[in-house]
Amino acid sequence: MNMRRGYKRLLVASVAASALVASALPANAETGISATEIKLGITLPMTGAAAPGYNKLPGAMQAYFDYVNSNGGVNGRKIKLVVKDDGYLPTLAVAKTNELILKDKVFAVVGALGTANNKAVARSVDLGRRGVPSLFINTGYSGFADGKKYPTTYPLFPSYIMEAKIMGQYIKDNFAGKKLGLIYQDDDFGSDAQAGFAAAGVKFDVSVPYASGSQSATTAAAWIGKLKAAGVEVAIIFGVTSATGAALATSAALAYKPQWILGSVGGDATTLKALGVPAAILAGAQGASFLPSPGDATDEYVKQFTDIYTKAVPGSSFDNNVLVGMNTAMLTVQALRAAGKNPTRASLMSGIESQGSKWASASFSPISYSASSHVGYSGYWFGTYNLSGVMLPTGGKYSIYTTDSGSGAVSKSTYMRPAMPAKGLPNN
Amino acid sequence: MHKIRRSAIYLIIGGLLLWLSGVVDELRVFQGANASVYVIAIASIILLTGYSGQLSLGHGALMAVGAYAAVLTQKHWHFSLTLTFISAVLVAAAVGAILGVAAARLKGPYLAGTTLAFAVGLPTLANQFSIFGGEQGLNYEVSNPPKSLGNNFTQYRWYFWITALAALIIMWLMHNLLTSRYGRQWRAVKSSPVSAALSGIYNEKIKILAFTISSGLAGLSGALLALTLNLVTPSAFPLSLSFAIVTGAVLAGLTTLTSSIVGALVLVAIPDVADFLTEKLGGAERVSANLPGLITSVLLIVTILSGPLGSKIHLRKRK
Repeated sequence: MNMRRGYKRLLVASVAASALVASALPANAETGISATEIKLGITLPMTGAAAPGYNKLPGAMQAYFDYVNSNGGVNGRKIKLVVKDDGYLPTLAVAKTNELILKDKVFAVVGALGTANNKAVARSVDLGRRGVPSLFINTGYSGFADGKKYPTTYPLFPSYIMEAKIMGQYIKDNFAGKKLGLIYQDDDFGSDAQAGFAAAGVKFDVSVPYASGSQSATTAAAWIGKLKAAGVEVAIIFGVTSATGAALATSAALAYKPQWILGSVGGDATTLKALGVPAAILAGAQGASFLPSPGDATDEYVKQFTDIYTKAVPGSSFDNNVLVGMNTAMLTVQALRAAGKNPTRASLMSGIESQGSKWASASFSPISYSASSHVGYSGYWFGTYNLSGVMLPTGGKYSIYTTDSGSGAVSKSTYMRPAMPAKGLPNN
Repeated sequence: MHKIRRSAIYLIIGGLLLWLSGVVDELRVFQGANASVYVIAIASIILLTGYSGQLSLGHGALMAVGAYAAVLTQKHWHFSLTLTFISAVLVAAAVGAILGVAAARLKGPYLAGTTLAFAVGLPTLANQFSIFGGEQGLNYEVSNPPKSLGNNFTQYRWYFWITALAALIIMWLMHNLLTSRYGRQWRAVKSSPVSAALSGIYNEKIKILAFTISSGLAGLSGALLALTLNLVTPSAFPLSLSFAIVTGAVLAGLTTLTSSIVGALVLVAIPDVADFLTEKLGGAERVSANLPGLITSVLLIVTILSGPLGSKIHLRKRK
């Protein structure tokens, strides 16, 4: 008797489930494109340990999109950016990207952040098979440039291998014979870095790995302890901003003063200061970047972007994350323009491949998109932070060095970036 | 006759689900796969708590054990997908058996505390040994759907077929198990350990058996969760997962197996409800990130307050 009731319940539950999941499936020309709107999406950490600094990216992108929207949009369509918080967790990144693609029905994903997250999303959501473009992702993992494995992913940043190779060359040129120490994230981000330094022929006296998400004042004390014990004179940190901040703040607290060299990922001065890094330890530290210094008011891109940003988000400081976000947004607008009057996901991607290398962008590095290459930027310049946290180029002017993710040499670049388009509005 | 009809009903429901997966929105199909994973996890709690009277706040960690067992046996010994599921069940059951020996000697808050510590500690082990792939985890290779199913057969529909089939098989086995001698023994031990012992039931042994089977089921659901992500990582098995499945089981009414479907659907619906609320309230990302946890906790508290034996039991008593 009891079991019979059980079946009834099972049947009722199944029917209820069927009713709950049944919903109509509308069909239209291209997902995420209407007569008046282009819908884009991004997943990134807005909360949690990895969020500081990066959570300014969507606001910066939105500020630029709003500016373009108020100036006529892209072929009459306004750009809308849907932001999803993934807390820097691969599982959430997959769930949130699913929502973006299947529920919000975005045209493309732009600026998704994190190596592990982008890998998990590309595999599980299967962006390639779905044909959903993932543009200008916020990670430098070299693997994403593999067009066979990630056919719809377009990395923008130079790979971590490139950065480490160029940094390795810089260290050999400037700090030969010194005791070297490295702090790196124990995942693909860090293994790329190690591969790059090895390719440049740099050997570290101490290497300290840290697990992503484990960074804190307590763990940083252990890293610094190891560097200090080994008498490291030049300390390189190749980590996210929160890890870099923890390392520098601890170093200051323990009165340990090596020559610090910061990887570009964790090198944003504004965020570092907000994380409690004293100005005194940042001043004199060196760093690498592929964008102009966000504090360089003489740079035409920085000037125009600062102008737009301070009007859109009053009271928020213009830093490297904002610069990255706005630069990504500007490239996105150019990509959308290149996709034509009736953009499709396919025309968006072919537009990037045929025209992307000529687009206006703030970086001093060339862009290498082509039918056979998904590589974006490939170069870095080096500089020293001053007391107000502005990184000034070593030798007084930006010298860009480029390389590849393989065995190619590091060489000085002669690339001249296109001028900022009038009023900051792309005209490609 | 009884058993034949039971099997026939399962076949009909299976057919209905397979048909449904072809006509609904793809997001719903993915949520359906998630619901199937939860159905198994909740069933494992119902067996443990509803029948044998033991409490576990650590089943999220046992799910992690199953998931890592599946992925590692695939990576190192190239097991087929089905074999990885079996290894997930066996390894998680083995770990559960050890835990069950301790559990059988503990009661109430002590048992809750022990299993909770297990849930807190275990996933972080993955960051200590490189074989587990650290925070970014290990890939779980899941084949594409067979070509014979056609080009329009999506990856998510494939996940749904696998997970729903597993959930149906588990439900069928559990139905049979819980109406068997063991089911009756567990209930006897739960309602009165003394009289159960007097009638010849070896309490400790039967409790350990429940913990072992329950852990095996949790392991399977963990492997299926990893399947839907193509990935196993510690962050997939947070403490909140353990709480969520206990909540789902309580909501479902701890003693009725079939209503685990209701619990699973509620768990899958919570993030959607949270999104809807944030949109209505015009809230920030910060709100929507924390709202699902809040809803889960409130639901659990309200259910306990209004019907200590689970919402369904309570409603039925009212009738």
